[in-house]
Amino acid sequence: MRRLPDAAARGKSITLELEGESVPAREGEPVACSLVAAGESVLARSIKYHRARGPYCFSGACSHCLMRVDGVPNVYTCRVPARAGMKLERQNAYPSAKVDVFEAIDWFFPKGLDHHEMFAGMPVAEQVMAKVARQLAGLGLLPDAPAPARMPARIVRVRVAVVGGGAAGLAAAHTLAARGVSFLLFERDAQPGGRHLTGALEPDAPALPDTSALPPDSVRTRATAIGLFDDAEGRFLAVVVESPEGLQLLRVYAERFLLAPGGHPPMLPFENNDLPGVYSGHAASLLARRHGVAPAVAALVGSGEGLYALARLMEAQGTKLAAVVDLKGPVPASAPAGSVRGGAPKAHGLGSVSALSYESESGRRVKVACDAVLVAVGPSPSFELPRQGGAKVEFDEAREVFAVVADADGRTAAADVWVAGDVTGGGSTAQAAAAGQRAAEALSRELAGGAS
Amino acid sequence: MSKQMVCSCEDVTVDDIRHAVAKGFRDVESVKRFTGFGTGVCQGKSCLSAVAALLAKDKAQKPEGLLPFTPRPPLYPTELSVLASLPVDETQAPVGGMFEEMSVFPPVLRPEAPVPKKAKVVIIGGGILGLALAYNLSLRGEKDVVVLERGYLCAGASGRNGGGVRMQWGTSANIELAKRSIELMGRFARDMGINVWLRQGGYLFMAKTKAVAQRLERNAALHNKHGVPTRLLTLDEARDIVPGLTLKDAQAATYNPQDGVIFPWPFLWGYANACRKAGIAVETFTTVTGFEQSDGLVRKVKTDRGDIACDTVVVASGAWSPEVAKLAGVKLPNEPHRHEILSTEPLKPFLGPLVSVLDSGLYFSQSMRGEIVGGMGDALEPAGLNMGSTLRFVSRFARALTEQLPNLGHVKVLRQWAGCYDVTPDNSPVLGRTPGLENMLQLSGFVGHGFMMAPAVSERMAAWMTSGASDELFTRFSLRRFQEGKLEREDMIIG
Ligand SMILES: Cc1cc2nc3c(=O)[nH]c(=O)nc-3n(C[C@H](O)[C@H](O)[C@H](O)COP(=O)(O)OP(=O)(O)OC[C@H]3O[C@@H](n4cnc5c(N)ncnc54)[C@H](O)[C@@H]3O)c2cc1C
Repeated sequence: MRRLPDAAARGKSITLELEGESVPAREGEPVACSLVAAGESVLARSIKYHRARGPYCFSGACSHCLMRVDGVPNVYTCRVPARAGMKLERQNAYPSAKVDVFEAIDWFFPKGLDHHEMFAGMPVAEQVMAKVARQLAGLGLLPDAPAPARMPARIVRVRVAVVGGGAAGLAAAHTLAARGVSFLLFERDAQPGGRHLTGALEPDAPALPDTSALPPDSVRTRATAIGLFDDAEGRFLAVVVESPEGLQLLRVYAERFLLAPGGHPPMLPFENNDLPGVYSGHAASLLARRHGVAPAVAALVGSGEGLYALARLMEAQGTKLAAVVDLKGPVPASAPAGSVRGGAPKAHGLGSVSALSYESESGRRVKVACDAVLVAVGPSPSFELPRQGGAKVEFDEAREVFAVVADADGRTAAADVWVAGDVTGGGSTAQAAAAGQRAAEALSRELAGGAS
Repeated sequence: MSKQMVCSCEDVTVDDIRHAVAKGFRDVESVKRFTGFGTGVCQGKSCLSAVAALLAKDKAQKPEGLLPFTPRPPLYPTELSVLASLPVDETQAPVGGMFEEMSVFPPVLRPEAPVPKKAKVVIIGGGILGLALAYNLSLRGEKDVVVLERGYLCAGASGRNGGGVRMQWGTSANIELAKRSIELMGRFARDMGINVWLRQGGYLFMAKTKAVAQRLERNAALHNKHGVPTRLLTLDEARDIVPGLTLKDAQAATYNPQDGVIFPWPFLWGYANACRKAGIAVETFTTVTGFEQSDGLVRKVKTDRGDIACDTVVVASGAWSPEVAKLAGVKLPNEPHRHEILSTEPLKPFLGPLVSVLDSGLYFSQSMRGEIVGGMGDALEPAGLNMGSTLRFVSRFARALTEQLPNLGHVKVLRQWAGCYDVTPDNSPVLGRTPGLENMLQLSGFVGHGFMMAPAVSERMAAWMTSGASDELFTRFSLRRFQEGKLEREDMIIG
């Protein structure tokens, strides 16, 4: 990964402290972004095999980037904004993340490890193992100090609670505003916009809606919904809001919950898919578009329109495409030159990616040199909140994801739980926006009609 | 070493998933438990779909049978200090609970083949007690046994508990049973070929009030009489055992180094495997729907996969026991009570014992995987088969925990869930014969400690059932005691 020429414009230059060494960074960008841009590809060691790990998803949906930050263990460095002087430490590595003696465990168990049966029945081995296993287990060390006092939790009441400020959520917000329905939108990121700002957009993607046109304070950023609970007063969304004053827990009671949390970048199983230098497509587009960081030479694997949209985006950033491998095909005529149908991808490299190989249609193994492998597959719908609210979730065999079952307007099996966007399976930005608008319209009609 | 990772939080590979399927774990909840996929910091966000796709591709499960595991809150790892900021009205009973995915088991998971037409013993409930009893029957030569379980193994309390095992009890009966159980647990891996990771880090109890402190002191003396090395600790000694423990408001503390924690799931699988090896049918996703009775005896057990004629039926259905017994017209005094619990991000080992505040029922320990696992009772919890999670619980727990170990404030909760305690009027089990229905045996009412009692109780019960010799356990804890007013009060229940 390298910084694009316009990096200077993207925030103040600061330094972070990584195990005693200083690392250059731009203030406010995710710490993991600063580290990979500075050539630090190994951020952690994995829990069981001590495999080298670098950031993968940039979405808080894997665990590859967890580090100890200012004395707090297991922090998602892909989400924490860089601040001058921040102290970063790699975890679960001995003596260091670069040379970790426990890496040997990885070689002892070439296929995987059944810890249930390992040494069971061998009297001494079993007891030694129990002691060793306990010492090896766990990730970070206990925090250095107590947490600061938190702000008092608050109760908020609103007609509609919207989760997710991506294409679907923002379109819904605009529709609700136009209809005069009071709402609050909660977005985990620092800015609303979702893939409008961070994705590899399709050619027909609509423009980012203007959030300044929304009612004041109706959009809360850095606000993470953590569960859809209920109590004596009814259903409520638990939201943790991060502000300069600290963290605050909200209980948001609403008549309707319009859930548009999008999806998580999934792991795609292939050989060495966890090697540092393998990034989700979401990570690649986010780093390039928002933070001006991109690989010099990338190999892309994946399927669907998202694969080609990412290829075009990376090319536009000056990244050389070593390969664009479509795992499902067929390769559309509009695909960038050199795109091929292929299978069985494998990442290669010692400590970090140096090449990708795949099987071509003729059955030949092709290997290309690259410094990053980008995995562009559709998102895994974030069905958790709708499910907690009682919506039905089904496995979509064609897309190979679990998705929320909803009608065209976004109604689910639970009367007060509505959904829109990728949470129902994934589609284009335009489709997500249209779904958000439809759901908001139907829901407003229902509220106006007094139905509940 | 080249590997294909499915769940990179827990280092679970494609081969690990296939290995689980080969072992017979085919539904998503079971594959999750066996491989550990989805139990790491990402809570399943990056791996769940990939695992389902693999199960679909390998035809390990029908497409309609691919259901996501229950999405446990919080959706993202959340600091205990933040959860602790929610005020809770302790004068109001908890209400509600998040929708629980697997409280109803979809018929598509039900095996298609019919159940055996008859069996000498039918055991209802594939929790730890039912499985351990079946296993002990097989050891005594009785292998014509069928175990019926409405969900996957681990669906009930046995798959949802904290894994605490201790000898510090308030009655001689419980102390002796626990001693024997822990002895059997120490041998479990050797006997059964599966690790349960028993770790004897001790239990450290504390009392905040005089009355409870006196109870601890009295019980410690009773423990010593039974050869259990429980010690009364000064608060400084307690802090030596758990550095950083505030012992806020503590008046007394006791410690038995032989108590400990165990990993619950493999305990069930170990018994189930051994049963199957002995030829005992362990039928999962099979629900008992009724009984055929005549002349004061159960003749057949009815299930959604056919009827089974039997000589003896054992109700080992945990918190569902009253519901199951009622199908035969038998009224049990047990009541299900939700009990919530949570688990945090994994940390390197720092906490030796399970720590418990006997007054509030707070308890927490560190699992072999490094997570802090703990719960806390709610005195106002109403009766009912409710396994939904509440924000109230995490808030109360977080406050009580960080009061005792303030450095845990930044530690993040990864998931919370709930199970049901099977509560009896005297906190003691219901064992033995059913008045008026002689061939229905009871093995229920273990409140919050059935897990640790199972090995010893089932051993005694199998001996009693197969030898015909009397055993005072099955008289003392029989259903009759409630009519006769001979209650057996246990005062060391936590949670
Ligand atoms: C949160 C929590 C923490 C706990 N902590 C501890 C601890 O630290 N230590 C300890 O020793 N104990 C603990 N316990 C208690 C312990 O888990 C239980 O006492 C024990 O698991 C009971 O085992 P069981 O086999 O009786 O019940 P279960 O495991 O509940 O098994 C009963 C089974 O019956 C099945 N069933 C119900 N109805 C039917 C039907 N109609 N047909 C077929 N099958 C049916 C259910 O699906 C269930 O699997 C805890 C319990 C909870 C809930």
